[in-house]
Amino acid sequence: MRFFRQDLHTLAGAYALDALEPGSELTRFNRHLSRCQSCASEVRGFREVATAMAFAATTEPPAEMRDQVLAAVARTRQLPPEIRTHVRPRRTWGAAPWIPWLSGAIATAGIVLAVLFGFAQAHTQNELNQVRAQNQALAAAQARVQTALNQAREHDQALAEILGAPHVTLLSQRTTKGGVAVVVLDAAKRQLVVATSGLPALPAGKVYQLWLIGPVRIVSAGLLPTAQAGVTTPVVATGIVKGDKLGLTVEPAGGSKQPTTVPILALPLPV
Amino acid sequence: MNPNDSDASRFRSATADRRGERDLDDLLIHVARGDQAAFEALYDRMAGPVYGVIRRVLRDPSQSEEVAQEVLLEVWRTAARFDPAMGGAATWVTTIAHRRAIDRIRSTTAAAEREHKSADVSPPHDEVAEAVEASLDRERVRRCLESLTEIQRESITLAYYGGHSYRQVAELLQVGLGAIKTRIRDGLIRLRDCLGVS
Repeated sequence: MRFFRQDLHTLAGAYALDALEPGSELTRFNRHLSRCQSCASEVRGFREVATAMAFAATTEPPAEMRDQVLAAVARTRQLPPEIRTHVRPRRTWGAAPWIPWLSGAIATAGIVLAVLFGFAQAHTQNELNQVRAQNQALAAAQARVQTALNQAREHDQALAEILGAPHVTLLSQRTTKGGVAVVVLDAAKRQLVVATSGLPALPAGKVYQLWLIGPVRIVSAGLLPTAQAGVTTPVVATGIVKGDKLGLTVEPAGGSKQPTTVPILALPLPV
Repeated sequence: MNPNDSDASRFRSATADRRGERDLDDLLIHVARGDQAAFEALYDRMAGPVYGVIRRVLRDPSQSEEVAQEVLLEVWRTAARFDPAMGGAATWVTTIAHRRAIDRIRSTTAAAEREHKSADVSPPHDEVAEAVEASLDRERVRRCLESLTEIQRESITLAYYGGHSYRQVAELLQVGLGAIKTRIRDGLIRLRDCLGVS
């Protein structure tokens, strides 16, 4: 055990350089980091080294990029700050112990997570009311997802089950065509929920199809629903086996038996 | 930057010092409150390092520009999630940039494209650097990298600028996994001391 810890500790360098591959090692190190003060401060120092390396690589970006970014900024809504635990007592989240970690990752995945987050947190009307009383801003956000939530939960027992599972892994990755896929993985039950945000709209007659891409076989995991305001409603996929990646391709309407185009996403699923 | 914009000129002095980490932190705090002028000032300070590090990793200029735009927009969108206790604004921004570049190469098609475009994995030569005026950072980092052992230097450059995982680095350098982990960490400790990072 001692050796194991030591071994984990030496990963601080690779971790700070983003050189750990997604999967169990990264998950383990992240967990270790939340408990190991000296590792956290070492990583902080190493990240500053990495920052100096980034500054050393400074390159003048194309001139038009500035206007494009500033124009995008002018029409992009900012995420609200994370509400810290003192305004939301932990017991409120008792049903979903992964929420604190999820909220840390929420920055990367934006609105998709906001949707999943909403699904997960409003487990009972009672809890929702408690939170609402505590924090009006949060309550407003919840009100927006509540309708969608109730509908989806009624229709989709499987979805509610995964989002409420005690140990889940949150994964997110950009697709090569832009947009992001967010996955809540219940490794124990080998199932997941996936939602996407900001995928490019497809021409008529084309759909996005999800796949479980394994070392020996590729199986369809269903079609992505049409996006509402850029966000697709969560889709459940089950029967994940070790080595599977979650893939996404563009297929003719109705989907294909096997992928016919190059995946725009191949997200490893640590089960 | 619009010279008539008083908000922008308020931050102008901040750009005077080379890194001015604390000023960057302040800028980011203003950005979090929706201050677009502060974002412009932040852009002028950070777009170079953001684009530069992404370009080092991805190499392809148009992909790099795309990812850099996404990163800078993410900085705007998530500025309220910046926590100064976890490290400075410069570190926060460059960490996002590097991670997004890595995300991009880890998606399969991008990886294939990249291999097609550049099969070599040698530390990047300075086609990019030539276009940029020499900076103190560059000189300092170069000097400190030189103080490392060859294997430490190669592991760190392949991992950070090359965007390789430590497993890939081990493969490229034909060194065991345990040894690579140690070399990267030891090298970073030496760099940290050389660069005077607290």
